[in-house]
Amino acid sequence: MRKTKTKFDSISLSILWARLISIVDEAGTTLQRTSFSTVTRESNDFAVVLMDRDGRSIAQSSISVPSFLGVLPILTKALLKDYFSHDAWEEGDVVMTNDPWLCAGHKPDIGIVSPIFHQNELIGFIGTIAHSPDMGGVLWGAGSRDLYEEGLMVPPTKLMQAGVPNLTLFNILEANVRAPMQTIGDIKAQIAANDQGIRSLAKLMEENNLTDLQDLADVIIDNTEESMRKALAAAPDGTFTYSYDTDGDGKGNPCHFEIAIEIQGDEILVDYAGTSDAHPLSINAVLNYTFAYTAYPIKCAFNPEIPNNDGAFYPIKVIAPEGCLVNAQKPVPLGARNITGNMLHSVVFGALAKVIPNKIQADCGSACWCIVLNGTHHGNEFVEYFFLNGGYGARPQLDGPHCLSFPTNVANVPIEVLENDVPILVTQKALVNNSAGNGQYRGGLGQIFGFKNIGEKDLNISILAEKTVSNAKGLLGGEDGAQGKVEIIPHRDFPSKGLDKLKPGEELILTLPGGAGYGPPSKRDKTLIERDRLLKYID
Amino acid sequence: MEIARELRYDIYDLFLTMPEPLIARNLRYGVEERVTNKGKVLTEINQDDLNKIASQIEDENLESVGVCLLNSFANVSHEEKVGQFLQEKFPNLAVSLSSKIMPEIREYERSSATAMNAYVQPLTSSYLNKLKTELVKKGFGGKLNIMISSGRLTTIDEAIKTPIHLLESGPAGGSMAGVFYGKLFNEKNLLCFDMGGTTAKASLIHNGAPEITNHFEAARVKRFKKGSGLPVRIPVIDMIEIGAGGGSIARLNSLNLLTVGPESASSQPGPACYNLGGEYPTVTDADLVLGYLNADYFLGGTMQLNIEQARKAIDKHLAGPLGISIEEAAMGIHKIVNENMANAARVHILEKGMDPRHFSMIGFGGAGPVHAFGVAKLINSPNLYIPVGAGVASALGFLVSPIASEKIHSHISNLADMDWKEVNDFLDNMQSEGKRFLKKYGNKNSSIHIDRIVDMRYEGQGHEITIHLPEGPLSEKHLSEIKDRFQKEYTFKYNRSIEGIEIQTVTWRVQVKGEIPSIDVVQKDITYKNSTPLKGTRKVFFEETGYLDCPVYDRYNFEKNVTLLGPMIIEEKESTTVIGINSEVEVDTIGNIKIKLL
Repeated sequence: MRKTKTKFDSISLSILWARLISIVDEAGTTLQRTSFSTVTRESNDFAVVLMDRDGRSIAQSSISVPSFLGVLPILTKALLKDYFSHDAWEEGDVVMTNDPWLCAGHKPDIGIVSPIFHQNELIGFIGTIAHSPDMGGVLWGAGSRDLYEEGLMVPPTKLMQAGVPNLTLFNILEANVRAPMQTIGDIKAQIAANDQGIRSLAKLMEENNLTDLQDLADVIIDNTEESMRKALAAAPDGTFTYSYDTDGDGKGNPCHFEIAIEIQGDEILVDYAGTSDAHPLSINAVLNYTFAYTAYPIKCAFNPEIPNNDGAFYPIKVIAPEGCLVNAQKPVPLGARNITGNMLHSVVFGALAKVIPNKIQADCGSACWCIVLNGTHHGNEFVEYFFLNGGYGARPQLDGPHCLSFPTNVANVPIEVLENDVPILVTQKALVNNSAGNGQYRGGLGQIFGFKNIGEKDLNISILAEKTVSNAKGLLGGEDGAQGKVEIIPHRDFPSKGLDKLKPGEELILTLPGGAGYGPPSKRDKTLIERDRLLKYID
Repeated sequence: MEIARELRYDIYDLFLTMPEPLIARNLRYGVEERVTNKGKVLTEINQDDLNKIASQIEDENLESVGVCLLNSFANVSHEEKVGQFLQEKFPNLAVSLSSKIMPEIREYERSSATAMNAYVQPLTSSYLNKLKTELVKKGFGGKLNIMISSGRLTTIDEAIKTPIHLLESGPAGGSMAGVFYGKLFNEKNLLCFDMGGTTAKASLIHNGAPEITNHFEAARVKRFKKGSGLPVRIPVIDMIEIGAGGGSIARLNSLNLLTVGPESASSQPGPACYNLGGEYPTVTDADLVLGYLNADYFLGGTMQLNIEQARKAIDKHLAGPLGISIEEAAMGIHKIVNENMANAARVHILEKGMDPRHFSMIGFGGAGPVHAFGVAKLINSPNLYIPVGAGVASALGFLVSPIASEKIHSHISNLADMDWKEVNDFLDNMQSEGKRFLKKYGNKNSSIHIDRIVDMRYEGQGHEITIHLPEGPLSEKHLSEIKDRFQKEYTFKYNRSIEGIEIQTVTWRVQVKGEIPSIDVVQKDITYKNSTPLKGTRKVFFEETGYLDCPVYDRYNFEKNVTLLGPMIIEEKESTTVIGINSEVEVDTIGNIKIKLL
């Protein structure tokens, strides 16, 4: 039996809560400072989460991208239920897995969970999830044909047992990935981040005479849940639907999304029934990932300021038919599931526009386009990732900014850095005039980006482009954004998603889609139109 | 410039706005030309484009122009040609070349810095020229130098060329005062804590030198949000800033939790206790209720504080709704401010790869000494110093900083493939340029100190570590020494080093410094009106004890070289030092307070 509940007054709760978030932020800093993976480091493609002994999340690092919302507690709860029960954990253990159904939906995302002991009792867990530089398999992207082509899968396994490294697992990893030093370096950085968190938490427990985390977790989670429920309750009840089409492969095999959002009192249920089946390209999302990218726009619209912990997500339920595009099952390929996840906000906002039109934004020229180049440069093999974003959607009262990342948050790679790393010459980069969806508030402009292979050999290229046959949809009378385009010179067939080669002298020209407008163009302020003309955003 | 880096600075705010580029799109022009990243010219400058730009400059009547071409860090010739062309055509035009302002890789950051320099240049140059002539007119016969953001002095002429380096030079002065005091107190590592009316700032001094960063932002859309401003990659003393000062307002948020700042009551209407109509409770109100501040001796007694108004505001907005006492709510405000600062400081120290537990603290600013003890306790500082003249720390910093020049060169190469001849050539060039600059301003060879520094990383990582290079010409022979220094620093920062991955150099810097001016600090202008330092006692609230009769000392009459035990309050005109229990207090011969946290 637990002893009587510890009570926390507003002030000590405020202090302890801020300290817990600071602890995961400190751990996140440690991870970021020492990781090799560009996306972990520069794009904050990681999360650190502190959990109670039942795997309920209490605090999540503040700068993480949304793809990890809610993922680590789901993973930890599954570990406790199906893999390592409470008494199977020892101090100094570290469990690793990249199972996409337990983690974040594709193999490069590695989850590392460490137990936290205090006075010899298991009091909680700290976990990190981060995008690893490589997990073997074909070049990352939409081009893999099944799950097995996407590299090594590690089921939940103790990477460290009571502080002793599992050399067998380290050796397997080393033998299966392209950049073993970097990949293992990043895993070690994740362990170091967990350790940093454990040390800081121990200090907090000692200073505040806490013996466990459960009472504190209860208050934090309950408070957050209550606040989220209050925000949902303020919106009118009803069921709101929206449907949406995206490129798929861009060659006649599109993806279709159907959504029904039911707001009932203080709860929200999102149903993706009617969404198309899993796609032959590796753009399928598992339900964990679908949840993260569905909960994210809901949180932004209803209660953007509440901290991320279990309580924020209890009132949100997401369902999708098994085997469909957003609830993929083994062994469909998942590598580039981000292109699908990054579309879900469009569907969610589309439906919510019918009930809370002042709290949402029009469709973005997302998803973020990804290019991976692989070849040799000065005799060394390289794998270079870079990202490009289209125009942002318009908001009530505000135009959409040009070329801004949403819903994920990844930076571009500077031209000068790119040219230093790989044998290409960037031939153009500019905003695309007239590409924004018009409206009372207009979308942001897309961009054009061209580059040429100036090396002597073919470059392997994995491309992930979207909205080349579909476009960003305007809301409440706003117009659609312009489509994107993938062109190669000299002209030949080139996929908008998948694998190909860029031959020496060939130039690839990418035109990113514009963001959509909000409200009817007839209501647009004249001075804003004049400004757009002066700055040549429009002709 | 408008595409920038495509990152959002706030992930949950759908209504965020991005900073406007300083130079609008209709005033940005392209010129056909191309240089590769290795400095090879691929396409010559298109003269027609230049002519077109010249006529546009004329039409628009422009005063200042920034020039930023791709890969100019590798070959400056195209930018220089454009600069020359414009200068010949328009002798009065201010021209900023990116290869002079920030000769580093990354075109967006470089053009942003160049635009900013171009933006401020006309204004600063007329201001500085006027300052110079007016001072001479008034009979000033000394050398006029000016502080720059990295904590060094430069000449007026240099400042006119690159005014962007004057950004944040005031706070840099504060950190340089910290360096000075660090030497005086024999503390190599210090956290400088400065708290004023609306914000609190902290910076680190590590091994006797301020921590420098080149990630700085100006013109933030949201003041305390990283990434919401325009990047300026110039060396700046690294400082964190949080929205917590004396005027910061305390509120209950939507979760019914007590939060403080960043909203501030500023000085109008100010805290409730100013009695100028301030409705909401602030940090100053809390500090007054707790007895830390003296209602009759605020700003040396020039401003009367009203404790009843402070209590009322706290009661109405916090204590009442929460069902707690006014003192508990006031203590909550005080503690939350300290926690916010300590949390930010811990993350900052970790970002620098250091251990937060080993930093002694030094407190400045009007509200700094009131909160420094609480913050020091939270980050486990062994010692806390409240120096004399804390209110004029920046100005003191200006007097104790050396005149210096820093030259920067981007050269990305694996250590193993380094062309040492090329390296020695550019290092020599940078060195003699720096020396020429210092000699021109009267520094003798013997007093010139040269630091050669390189930023290195493991290939594939994105954060660099700064290493001092060995002296003299470099060659393969130095490889193991340079590698060693890198590994050692890496291990110090991250508790591990990595085998089997190439080490890479990124940015090379040569700093040429003149002598650090030495000044003597003596306490001179103090009048001993009162012979006893103890002013009396008053009721002061401490968390561990509740209200107790706490001794209040007059800083100007404190006995030197005597050790006393906390708690106590030490009052002076500009501030009040609050010292909690479990502490030893010592005042040195000049009047600096040293507090040992037991």
